Amino acid sequence: MIQLENLSKKYEEVTVLEVASLSISKGEHFGLVGNNGAGKTTLFSLLLDLIRPSSGKVSINKIEVAISEAWKKDTAAFIDDAFLIDYLTPEEYFAFVAQLRKISTDELQTFLAQFEEFFNGEILDQKKYLRDFSKGNQKKVGLAAAFIGSPEVVILDEPFANLDPSSQIRLKKFLTNDQNTDCTLLISSHDLNHVTDVCDRIVLLEKGAIIKDTPKSPETLKELEAYFSAQ
Amino acid sequence: MNLFSLQWKESFRAPQWEAKATIKILIGVVSLYFIGSFLFLGSVVYPALNKTVLEREPLEVFNSVLLLFFFAELIIRFFFQQLPVTNIQSLILLPFKKRQIVNHVMLRSVFSPFNLVPFIIYLPFAISMYRDDYLETQALAWWLALLMTTLSLNFLLYIINKNNTYFVALVLLLLGTIALDVYAETDLGKMVGIPFDAVVNNPEYLVGFLLLLCGMYGVLFFFLKKSFYLDAGLGKKRTRVSGGEFTVLNFLGDDALILRNDLRMIVRNARPRQIALMSFLFLFYGLVFFTQDIYRDMEYVMVFAGLFVTGGFTMTFGNYVPAWDSSYYKLLMTQNISYKKYLLSKWNLMAFVTAVSMILAIPYVYFGWDVLAIIIAGAFFNMGLGTWIALFGGLLNKTPMKLNVKAKAFENTQSFSLTQFALIIPKMVLPVLLFWLPSYFITPTAGFISLAGSGIVAIILRDKIANWVTVLYKKQKHETIEAFNK
Repeated sequence: MIQLENLSKKYEEVTVLEVASLSISKGEHFGLVGNNGAGKTTLFSLLLDLIRPSSGKVSINKIEVAISEAWKKDTAAFIDDAFLIDYLTPEEYFAFVAQLRKISTDELQTFLAQFEEFFNGEILDQKKYLRDFSKGNQKKVGLAAAFIGSPEVVILDEPFANLDPSSQIRLKKFLTNDQNTDCTLLISSHDLNHVTDVCDRIVLLEKGAIIKDTPKSPETLKELEAYFSAQ
Repeated sequence: MNLFSLQWKESFRAPQWEAKATIKILIGVVSLYFIGSFLFLGSVVYPALNKTVLEREPLEVFNSVLLLFFFAELIIRFFFQQLPVTNIQSLILLPFKKRQIVNHVMLRSVFSPFNLVPFIIYLPFAISMYRDDYLETQALAWWLALLMTTLSLNFLLYIINKNNTYFVALVLLLLGTIALDVYAETDLGKMVGIPFDAVVNNPEYLVGFLLLLCGMYGVLFFFLKKSFYLDAGLGKKRTRVSGGEFTVLNFLGDDALILRNDLRMIVRNARPRQIALMSFLFLFYGLVFFTQDIYRDMEYVMVFAGLFVTGGFTMTFGNYVPAWDSSYYKLLMTQNISYKKYLLSKWNLMAFVTAVSMILAIPYVYFGWDVLAIIIAGAFFNMGLGTWIALFGGLLNKTPMKLNVKAKAFENTQSFSLTQFALIIPKMVLPVLLFWLPSYFITPTAGFISLAGSGIVAIILRDKIANWVTVLYKKQKHETIEAFNK
C-alpha cells in the first residue's frame, strides 16, 4: 500500500529523517513511537507530500506522491490544526469533507451517528464555529472527519493527545472496530499503551532512524517500556 | 519596560521581518510624503480662509467644521486602526500586574499614526494663527485642546471598537447632528466649535479638556481591567453562527464547494469582509475620473479608471489567494481536490464578482457610451487575464493571513516583494497598451475590441491557462505550506 525508498529529510545538513526502505501493506495498523524530535511528524508529512524530501520517494497505491495528485482520493489525514477550517461549524466542516469525498448527506448522517458516544453531545448542534471549540473537541472533529468516505489510508498524528480518558478509550474502540480492519491506519503516539492496543505493527524511531520494527506481540509493550526507561 | 522589550522581540523575531522592515521603510517614505502634503495643507488653510471668508475669523470657521473632522477621523479609525490586543493572552498568567498590562496596552495605542493628526494638521494651523495676530499662549492652548481631544477619541475608539452597536449609535448621532444643521439650519456643529473658540481666549479652560482626556483614560482603564480575562474584552471574541448556507450555489455542483466555502470565509471573517467592502468602493472609483473633463481626452487614464471600476475585487482578493486559506492549507493539500480545481474555483469567484460589478457599473453610461464601452472592455480583461495575473501575484505572497483580524491602515502590503511590485506592469500597463496601441494607430473602436478581445480569448483558453498556473503553484507547494505553518 505504502512504499518508502531511500527517504531522507535534511535541514541545512542536519538529517532529521533517514529511512532506507519501509513498506506498509494494506489493512496494516501501523504504530509509530519515539521521543520528541525523533521524526514522527516529519515522516507523516513526507507521506502526505507536505514537505519535500531531500532524497528518495514515497508511493501510496503505487502512485508517487510528489508527482501525481491521484493518491489524495484514497488518503486522509489529521496532523494538526491546519486540517480544520476554523470559521465553519462542525456540521459544515463534515459536509465540506463529505462533498470532497463524494459522500451523500444521508451517508454522512449514518457515518456521524456512530460517533455519538465519542462526541459526547458536545460537537453537533452547538451553533458555534470550530474556532470557538476547545482543543479536545476540535481534535474530535478532525479525527472523525479523517474517516469520512472510508479512505484506504488514514494518517493520524498523536490522535490520543488532548483527549480526555473516556474519549481516548472510545477512540481506541473506534479505531479497532471491524469496519476499519481494511483501512491502512498510521498513527503516532507517545502513549505506549494505546498504540500497542490499536496497532499490529510497531515502529520505533530515534533521531530520524528506524531502530525497531516488529509485529505486535504480548511482549511488545514491556519491551517498549524497557527501551524508553533506559533512554 | 519589560513589556516593551517583549514587543521589540516580537517584531524582530517575526518571520520575514526583513521584508516587513522593508515595507515599514517604504511606508515610512510614503507617509513622509503624505505628512509633507498635510503639513502644506495645514499651513495654507489658514491664509486661504483668511482671504476667502472675510466676514468671519478663520479660526471660527475652522472650529465650526471640527465636528466633521472628528466624525471622519472616528470612521477611519474604526475601520483601520488596529488596537494592540492580540498578544495579551500569553501575558495574563505571568507576574505582571493587571494594571501594568492595561496601561501598557493603552500607551501603545497612543503610538498610532492616527494620533499624528494634531501634529500634521492642527499644528501648522496653530502656527499660522501665531503668525497672524494671536498670542503664542492662545495658539498653544488651542492646539493642546485639539491634541487632548484627539487622544480622547483614540481611547473612545477602544470602547466602541468592541461594540458595533455603540459605533452605529455614534454614527447616527453625528449624522443626525449634521443633517439637522443642514436641513433644519440649527447650529449644533458650531456648538462643538464653541469650546475651542473659548479656549483661545481663556487658556485656563484647558483644564476641561484635560479632564475629558483623563475621564476617557479612566473609563477605558476600568473597562479594560474589568474585561481582562481570556473570554472577554481583550481575548478572542466568540461569534454567533450566522447564515452562510448559500444553497443557491448547489446547481454548480462540485465547483460550488470551494466557492461556497470562500463566500463563508468572506462573510464570517473580519479581514475578508474589509476587503469585500473596499472592492465595493472601487465601483465608485470612476466618479473621480469620468466627471472631470480634463481626463476625457487622456485615453490611458480612462482605461485605467475603467479597469479599477470592475477590478477591485480581483485585485484585492486574488492577490491573497492561497493566503486566505493559509490556516487550513494542509487540509486542502491532502484532501480529495486537485490543485487545478482549487484554482479554477477561485477564478470562478473572481470572474463572477467582476461580472456583477460590470452590471452594477452600467449607470456609468450617464457619462457617455464610450465610458461604458471602456468599463465593459476592462471588465473582460479583468475576467480573462486580470484574474490570472492576480492569482500569480498571490502565489508570491507567502505570509499567512489572520482571517479574523482587521488589517492595519497602510498594511495591505503584507509580504511585499519586488516581483509583486513588477506585476503592476501586466496588471496596469498591459491593458492600457492593449487599448491605446490599436486605438492610436487604427481607430478607437479597434482599441475597445483589442482590450475586450484579449480578455475573451483568455476566457476561452481558461483551461489551458489554468494548467499552466497550476504547474507554477505546484512548484511552490512545499514552500507555501512551510511559510503558512509559521
